[in-house]
Amino acid sequence: MADIIRDINLNNPTQRQYWQTFLSELDIDNFNVKELIGIEKIVGLFDGERLVGTGAIAGKVLKYIAVCDRGATSKGARFNQVMTTLENYMATLGRFHHFVFTKPRYIASFKHIGFGVLAESSLGAILEKGLPDVHSFIRQLPQMGNQTSRIAAVVVNANPFTRGHRYLIEKAATENDFVYVFVVAQDVSLFTTAERQMLVSKGVADLKNVVVVSGGDYMVSYLTFPSYFIHDETTVIDYQTTLDARLFKNIIAPARHITRRYVGSEPLSETTAHYNQTLAREFDDSIELTIVPRLNSQRQVVSARAVREAIATDNRQVWTEMVPETTALFISENITALQTRIRKGQKIDGN
Amino acid sequence: MEIKKTAMAGTLESSDVQIMLSQGSDGITFDLVSDVAKQFDDAIKATITAVLALYGVDNAEVKVVDKGALDMVIKARAMTAVQRALDLADEPNWEVM
Repeated sequence: MADIIRDINLNNPTQRQYWQTFLSELDIDNFNVKELIGIEKIVGLFDGERLVGTGAIAGKVLKYIAVCDRGATSKGARFNQVMTTLENYMATLGRFHHFVFTKPRYIASFKHIGFGVLAESSLGAILEKGLPDVHSFIRQLPQMGNQTSRIAAVVVNANPFTRGHRYLIEKAATENDFVYVFVVAQDVSLFTTAERQMLVSKGVADLKNVVVVSGGDYMVSYLTFPSYFIHDETTVIDYQTTLDARLFKNIIAPARHITRRYVGSEPLSETTAHYNQTLAREFDDSIELTIVPRLNSQRQVVSARAVREAIATDNRQVWTEMVPETTALFISENITALQTRIRKGQKIDGN
Repeated sequence: MEIKKTAMAGTLESSDVQIMLSQGSDGITFDLVSDVAKQFDDAIKATITAVLALYGVDNAEVKVVDKGALDMVIKARAMTAVQRALDLADEPNWEVM
């Protein structure tokens, strides 16, 4: 009998239990809220009443993909059927580009159906398929200098752009011929992506060798990398930061002859401190990492988080000390809107 | 004719082919994955290029995952993909068949 595709509904306790049991048997047992929350659709492949394959869609990400080949007509047939269903469903939503985060041993299966590897480590891999892809992203990046130029990169979320960001970028601009500033594009912060990008651009407008670009799908917050297939919570951050570092080192940097990366030192956040350590380890000799000590304002370390807290508590003096005039002007003009966003539940303690 | 939007047709199942078409600016460019690429790589590309030519498409990025599809299957999937990409899905161009 042919296998049938049906939707699985996690709000139904029986289906949820059945689904989780199936995945656990296939060694996927991380059902954290963080992993499940973005899921829009789950499909199940059934042989009669027996679940033999599944996969889920969360935005551009396909996850919880697993199949059991026991009783299948041919090896790989069920995997192909599940993936076809997921991809065709994505196509009806107008999504033709997707990512898979998976265990290294499944890389070959995904390559077989048209996925390309963006980064891999012993803990996991990021693959993508469709268009526009990483090559499209690289093509649209402006070209500055040539192989002989000294070219650096800075990646910022800039939520919002502070004097600290300015200090970091200015230092990079002084020490290099050209600097790419990649602004993280995920729209989950207090300041919208458009606002963040605009404030960075205005804040460095006078630095002629600096170009501000969107980080697209490739310079994202590593914290959003799905880790549903990782058992041990303590290795998650290592898995995430390693893939982020390798993607930058092996794909983005070489495409624009970037040989240096500047980051701020991180006295306040353990996660970011870990990230800086991973970058240093992974870049090794191929990219020179400069960790710049964080700028201090009169009272404390300049941080975007402190600025957001000051906005929430209406403490104008604090944010004026920490942000350049361009950002201060924007905050003053939009203070009511920003405070409303916070009141409506926008988190300000993340990044 | 120019591709209006990215479109896809076909499946990843055995004896089928999945074809994705997207806007291109550099002629017809292929990214092809196939178990039989060594023998049939050129034939698959030729079939798809011929279908695109029938619709007057000169520029496109084509991504193909072939699972051992026969020529007529490739042709049918290519036609569906191109009609979706040109927004002609509701008014198939029977003459090209």
